[in-house]
Amino acid sequence: MSVPDRISDQSGGPSVTASDHRRFLSRSRFEFAMLAPILAVAALATFWPPDGNERGEWVQFIGRFHPLFTHFPIALFLLVPILEIAGRNARFTYLRLSVNFVLTLATIAATAAAVLGWCLARSGGYSGRLITQHMWGGVSLSIVCWICWLLRARLRELASAYTVALALGIGLVSWTGYRGGQLSLGPNHLTEHMPGGLRALLGVGSNREAFGLPADPNTFYGARIQPIFTARCINCHGEDKHKGNLRLDGYKALMRGGKNGPAIQAGNAQASDLFRRISLPASHDDFMPKGKSPLTPDQVKAIELWIGAGASQTLAVDAIKNAPSGPASPSEVTFAEVDPAAVAKMRSAVAPAISQLQKQFPNVLDYDSRGSADLRLNASLLGSKFGDRDLEAFAPVADHIVIADFSRTAVTDHSANAIAAMKRLRVLRIVNTQLTDAALSRFDALNQLESLDVYGAPITPAVLPVIAKLPKLLHFYAGQTGIRPGNSVPEALAGKIVF
Amino acid sequence: MGGRSLDDRQVRSGSPNEAELMLLQSRTRRHFLRNLGGGLGSLFLGTLASNLVPSAKASGAENYGLDFSRDARAPLSPLPPQFPARARRVIYLHMAGAPSQLELFEYKPELKRLDGQDCPASFLAGKRFAFISGVPKLLGSQYPFHQAGQSGQWISDRLPHIEKHADDICFIKSMRTDQFNHAPAQLLVQTGNPRLGYASFGSWVIYGLGTENQNLPGFIVLLSGGKSPDGGKQLWSSGFLPSVYQGVQCRSHGEPVLYLDNPSGVSRSLRRSMLDTIDDINQQTYAAFGNPETVTRIAQYEMAFRMQMDATDAMDIRKEPDSVHAQYGSKPGETSFANNCLVARRLAERGVRFIQLYHWGWDSHGADAKEALNLGFNDRCREVDQPTAALLADLKSRGLLEDTLVVWGGEFGRTPMRENRGGQQMKYVGRDHNPGAFTIWLAGGGVKPGITHGVTDEMGYEIVKDPVEIRDLHATLLYLLGFDHHKLNYRFQGLEQKLTSVKPSRVVAEILA
Repeated sequence: MSVPDRISDQSGGPSVTASDHRRFLSRSRFEFAMLAPILAVAALATFWPPDGNERGEWVQFIGRFHPLFTHFPIALFLLVPILEIAGRNARFTYLRLSVNFVLTLATIAATAAAVLGWCLARSGGYSGRLITQHMWGGVSLSIVCWICWLLRARLRELASAYTVALALGIGLVSWTGYRGGQLSLGPNHLTEHMPGGLRALLGVGSNREAFGLPADPNTFYGARIQPIFTARCINCHGEDKHKGNLRLDGYKALMRGGKNGPAIQAGNAQASDLFRRISLPASHDDFMPKGKSPLTPDQVKAIELWIGAGASQTLAVDAIKNAPSGPASPSEVTFAEVDPAAVAKMRSAVAPAISQLQKQFPNVLDYDSRGSADLRLNASLLGSKFGDRDLEAFAPVADHIVIADFSRTAVTDHSANAIAAMKRLRVLRIVNTQLTDAALSRFDALNQLESLDVYGAPITPAVLPVIAKLPKLLHFYAGQTGIRPGNSVPEALAGKIVF
Repeated sequence: MGGRSLDDRQVRSGSPNEAELMLLQSRTRRHFLRNLGGGLGSLFLGTLASNLVPSAKASGAENYGLDFSRDARAPLSPLPPQFPARARRVIYLHMAGAPSQLELFEYKPELKRLDGQDCPASFLAGKRFAFISGVPKLLGSQYPFHQAGQSGQWISDRLPHIEKHADDICFIKSMRTDQFNHAPAQLLVQTGNPRLGYASFGSWVIYGLGTENQNLPGFIVLLSGGKSPDGGKQLWSSGFLPSVYQGVQCRSHGEPVLYLDNPSGVSRSLRRSMLDTIDDINQQTYAAFGNPETVTRIAQYEMAFRMQMDATDAMDIRKEPDSVHAQYGSKPGETSFANNCLVARRLAERGVRFIQLYHWGWDSHGADAKEALNLGFNDRCREVDQPTAALLADLKSRGLLEDTLVVWGGEFGRTPMRENRGGQQMKYVGRDHNPGAFTIWLAGGGVKPGITHGVTDEMGYEIVKDPVEIRDLHATLLYLLGFDHHKLNYRFQGLEQKLTSVKPSRVVAEILA
């Protein structure tokens, strides 16, 4: 690129040498006047780097204008190559007259943006690799702007140096801007919402991969503790912003603590700084989360118990007995997605037998849901037309049946073994059948049974001990049987028996 | 033209598919030209856009709606729910006319204290009422309240039987609607939309799940209280869903379904041979035109034939022992809510999916004795209290409450102000309509028992915590039946129609057991 003869400076009068010399001196002074603030901000960045602490209101107030102001140097600097290239066309040569002026503005704007950026970084609780890179990117950009401006104005013979500086500047603008975007919008803000097709085309990985593995949901930490931090704390104590040098986005980071030392003393909640802060009144200076609503009493309690139990990463989710039932009462229901291929695979072993049975006994056997291979057997609508012989036909699918209703059928004690073979039964109904104690005493194998309905069947209290041993039983419907409300009921059945 | 239509007839009668032929005949050169340009363009865009845009395909178009297609000869055949369901059937007890929550479930001592005082202006600003005008007086509850059961839920002395089930019941005291007249409000509760033409809750349920007993309708409606609900038969209509999914209104004595019995002199075998002949003709028609509605017609005739046996048996409460009649307070031969409750239990046992009872007469404005809170309202309470409690007890002891969802409630609430029709003090005590807050209670089928959800203000006038919209209730009930309310949909008029309509709805997770 050839730099035109310094058009802007060609207004010289007759006393060329003296005025040139004066102009050169004044220009040099101007150039160094421009450099001084750049060096100042570099010094600020070197000696007072962002350290994750929050500082004075004024500095932060000014710093907050950085994201707004930063668009000026970006736009102004990117205008320069446009002017240069367009100006090469004979019709637009006048555009190149403005380049010097635009570069001056760009240099001032870049310096100001860097100063504002430092204010924000220093006072807003930032620290870490991302902010450091962004900060030095900004400072370097100011310097490159200044160099471009310098070269463009005085050194016509170093045209290629100017071009290189300009290219370097464009690279810096893009890189620093991208880093800034990551700071404010998240590390993968550009690809986060990229459509699947484009993502595949460009070879960008799935956005899920960007977030590490979640904590193991079978541990107390993974199921109960980390979700609290994730929901309430990691905005300020996370990957990109770690106020007080404390990060709560993972177990290791949590145990490492922050600038005030460890946040957690395993086994001693009262001595743990984290617990002290979350249990303070919201008006206290040390209270966390600062400026936000306190954690719920259940959350505080869960954290207290977990620290008390040794703050382990591997402690099982149900290991702490008296823990408040936090996520047990979910605030929102999520709908599970059904993957047809996975379901078909699950069902493949039994599907032929099932469709055969469905033909033989219409509307008696069906899947429990569209997403499972579990079965529901309802023979009650066939009434006395359904007997022991019919039940035999269901043997091939017995261990898939989870709900079985033989109410009002002709099934007798001969079928006891066939029913007992349905090992995964959760619900069994034999309302108004002729099944007796003899059959029920075989049902001790049904260790998944939650609900047993023997309403109207000839059952006597003799069978109660067997039923009391069913480990998961919640309801035992014994109305209109030999069992009466007055009978002495084993303790294990108290509150489960319904008349 | 005459010659042309003759040709049409000839061609049509020989066509395997009438609809396709009609379509071909209506195509013109203009259609061709328009489709050529647009079609090529959309082909190109289709191939391009499918890769770039996160379309329905990317988020699982095949999953967007579930597949509810069935054999045309068995449109009501059962289908598994989307995910394991807590409830397999519904008994919906709709108290038509909107019972006063302030006389039954909402204990408001502050309102009682302010009884007879002028209503504050803030209650009236921007509100529309059916009858209240000027400045009405506040009206405290007409009946004393107390706590019932282990759970200590507040209830008035008007429901002495139901209160024994306080520990089985989940009260939602923060129901809200946007309709303040009976018919549209009932339509909103039952079809998810205040306007006519939408599919009812029961229709959606049997469309999604079918029904286990193919010898009975899957959706049965029983009425009592002397009048049909204001919303009329639209309340159990199938709307845009195929007509086979509409509710079947049955009578609780005599012939359960009108004209179901054979006329005198016609034996069952004669009826059978008649149906065989009709089926034969229908089969020929189907072979000629291929219209699936013809198959539906054949299926309906066959079902009616099977129903002749089973429906009569299911509805015949004379087969119940006296002890059961004593429990329900039912008397064979009457049309009463008690009889209907007993029928509901018999239908539930027989695998009917959706049983809906309407009891009319709760519109307690106080305009006459029949609708006065201190007179007619008492009678309504007596009519429903014992049967409702008996139904709950009966379902519970038979183990049916576990997977039967019982819903009890009206279409909106009533005001904490005494109605003053025409600005005058009225002879009888009554309350006007209040869409801002009312109570519906649920029991069984995966609902958390013995709890109260939602709180209204001290006057019981507006909700202060956890409002539940009608569509939220629908989403919750469908969830208990095993569905994501988005996925139980039906394409009509260019939209995936849903019971919960288009506004965002929330499953009320707090009331799930």
